[in-house]
Amino acid sequence: MTSAPDISAAADDPRLVTDLAGLRLRNPVLTASGTGGYGPEYAGVLDYRRLGGFTTKSVTREERPGNEPQRIVEVRAGLLNAIGLANVGLTRFLREKLPFIQTMPTTVLVNVAGHRLEDYVAVAAALDEHACIAAIELNVSCPNVADGLMFGTDPALLQKVVAATRHVLKRAQLVVKLSPNVTDIAVFARAALDGGAQILSLINTYVGLSIDAQTWKPRLANVTGGLSGPAIKPLALYNVHRVYQTVARAAGVPIIGMGGIQTTADAVEFFLAGASAVAVGTALFIDPTIPVKIAAGLADYLTAHNLPHISALTGQLRLP
Amino acid sequence: MSNEATAQPVCAVRARVDACTLVCREHVAIECVVDAFPPSAPGQFLQLLCRDSEAAVSALVEWSDECRPTLSDKDLRASAPFLRRPFSIADQWSTPGGDVHVRVLSRAVGPGTRWLARLRAGDTLDITGPLGRGFRIPTDDAPLFLLGGGVGIPPLLYLARRLHELGRRNVLVCFGARTRDLLPLRLVQEPACDATPTRCVELPAGAPYSAIVAGDDGSVGWRGSVVDALRAWHARHGRGDHPAVVFACGPEAMLKAVARTTRALGLSCQLCIERQMGCGLGTCLSCVVRVRDAVQPTGWRWALACQDGPVFDRDDLLDYAAVPGA
Ligand SMILES: Cc1cc2nc3c(=O)[nH]c(=O)nc-3n(C[C@H](O)[C@H](O)[C@H](O)COP(=O)(O)OP(=O)(O)OC[C@H]3O[C@@H](n4cnc5c(N)ncnc54)[C@H](O)[C@@H]3O)c2cc1C
Ligand SMILES: Cc1cc2nc3c(=O)[nH]c(=O)nc-3n(C[C@H](O)[C@H](O)[C@H](O)COP(=O)(O)O)c2cc1C
Ligand code: FES
Repeated sequence: MTSAPDISAAADDPRLVTDLAGLRLRNPVLTASGTGGYGPEYAGVLDYRRLGGFTTKSVTREERPGNEPQRIVEVRAGLLNAIGLANVGLTRFLREKLPFIQTMPTTVLVNVAGHRLEDYVAVAAALDEHACIAAIELNVSCPNVADGLMFGTDPALLQKVVAATRHVLKRAQLVVKLSPNVTDIAVFARAALDGGAQILSLINTYVGLSIDAQTWKPRLANVTGGLSGPAIKPLALYNVHRVYQTVARAAGVPIIGMGGIQTTADAVEFFLAGASAVAVGTALFIDPTIPVKIAAGLADYLTAHNLPHISALTGQLRLP
Repeated sequence: MSNEATAQPVCAVRARVDACTLVCREHVAIECVVDAFPPSAPGQFLQLLCRDSEAAVSALVEWSDECRPTLSDKDLRASAPFLRRPFSIADQWSTPGGDVHVRVLSRAVGPGTRWLARLRAGDTLDITGPLGRGFRIPTDDAPLFLLGGGVGIPPLLYLARRLHELGRRNVLVCFGARTRDLLPLRLVQEPACDATPTRCVELPAGAPYSAIVAGDDGSVGWRGSVVDALRAWHARHGRGDHPAVVFACGPEAMLKAVARTTRALGLSCQLCIERQMGCGLGTCLSCVVRVRDAVQPTGWRWALACQDGPVFDRDDLLDYAAVPGA
């Protein structure tokens, strides 16, 4: 049992302090899973005291070595990755990664992935013991492992895994991360809420393919990968808009929006589409301090527009 | 997966380009000046943003009703390299005033490196680094052999400076390329054709080391590869009391040949390898390389080239040379 670090700082701008269904964030800008490691990697560059929240790489019950290289390929305005959920597994996570996380002066979300329902439940229950983990984010949508999309592409299964996980959580908030690789994401948002999701995060990456015209071979060893970065921003905005309008607004469930965010303006667009917080993923590879810069930019934006609080932007898209 | 934070500081800076000069066909040397930069080790690398940084990543946009941010032409046309590109530190030194000079050599092979080649004095370059683990310099006085092929030469130039600063005497340099005008070096005299080391290459800080130069096509120095040159040198001189330590960097095929040859000759060897990189900081897990690990049931695990490397001991790398008896 570990205690929760005090994340409040005198310098927090009250206009940015965000409460996502009980998950308190100093500001509404987080890191996205899989793009910030487990915390120590960016410790020298990113000031966690100014970060809204940190999401870990997916943790699975067993350690996973991940895919053969090539694991990434750059495409126009984006990145195609097939890391294959490489991670240390629950036991080593608790032993080797948790001690650092306990010292992180920001809200920490641990992303959980699995093969079977029992895996999600077991990992979530074990993580729930540790007060330094404020929320569990269920990754039901990894496109880069053989059966990774199973839960993310069958609404009934999704509802089941969410409900089973929620059932074992005594303390941590439950975030469900949705896949855009479905016909209608609203159906899955609904299923996640029916299962008891307290927060929705979207989107994970889009399945994509890159081909080398010289060798006639796929550029990734895994053949397909997940597309992220600015290339998917309009798609991500649409998904946030869709989920907000059809499900989340009525249910009062907050959305963490992500997909291609690099600037304050990008973040503002996600708030307008319906997000209550945003996460930065791929852009961290270029500049790990982007979330902190965006948070500062949002404060300026609120001042310039004479808005009392960041939540005044959520869902304010002016529709014709 | 060894994925711990590097203890050394990493810095993200916007450096001023002091000079960007053509050193040979396809290669430019970029020299930058920064107010402060952490000390680095030869073999460590930098992540360079190979595009204008304002347009793409500045998060601080001016907002006012009269002047809304608009997409510039540049944004719309941008198919600019999205991720940073990794480059070995080719040299680094501080001036008495405290400025730090950092030098990289870049070979133009794609959009990012072509952008770098167009830099001019006074431009800014966005640098993250120093990253990774560099060469481990043995503390005994074993003879050291620096072996660089083509685009693998830069980290060895920096290593030559460091060895000179450490007062190491027993150092030999061997550089090669496919052909003469792909050698990113300044030759101060014509290299010998018979792999006899001479003071033919200008090294950083005036490091006084002799060099063998090899050109695959015979257009410069020894005709053949640096690996052949290493063998030739070893046949003649390499049987001293101390076995030499070889530091190598270059194309993958060359590194594999170096691994096999040094093992056969009983020399120890460190290889500076290249992998496609995303973050350079150990978060994206894309730059994996197989390393030996007796604890694993498989006998190996993935290591990260950006963090555990890019310099590895030859014997740790599974895919470079088979260990006898393994
Ligand atoms: C640790 C490290 C140190 C390096 N040091 C130097 C250096 O000192 N000088 C130098 O000129 N280059 C160096 N490189 C290689 C350099 O990073 C690539 O040439 C560069 O990223 C190409 O970018 P681009 O946009 O011009 O071309 P791209 O369009 O990205 O690539 C052009 C071609 O180069 C290949 N390539 C791209 N990135 C890499 C890479 N990381 N490793 C191997 N091949 C790659 C691509 O597969 C493609 O065939 C280093 C790479 C690493 C990993
Ligand atoms: C290299 C890489 C690894 C990722 N790993 C994970 C992961 O382990 N779990 C997960 O839920 N999402 C993962 N993602 C998806 C991101 O969290 C995010 O949803 C997606 O990349 C879109 O945001 P972006 O465009 O800002 O990157 C990964 C993305 C990238 C680029
Ligand atoms: S380049 Fe991202 S982990 Fe090595």
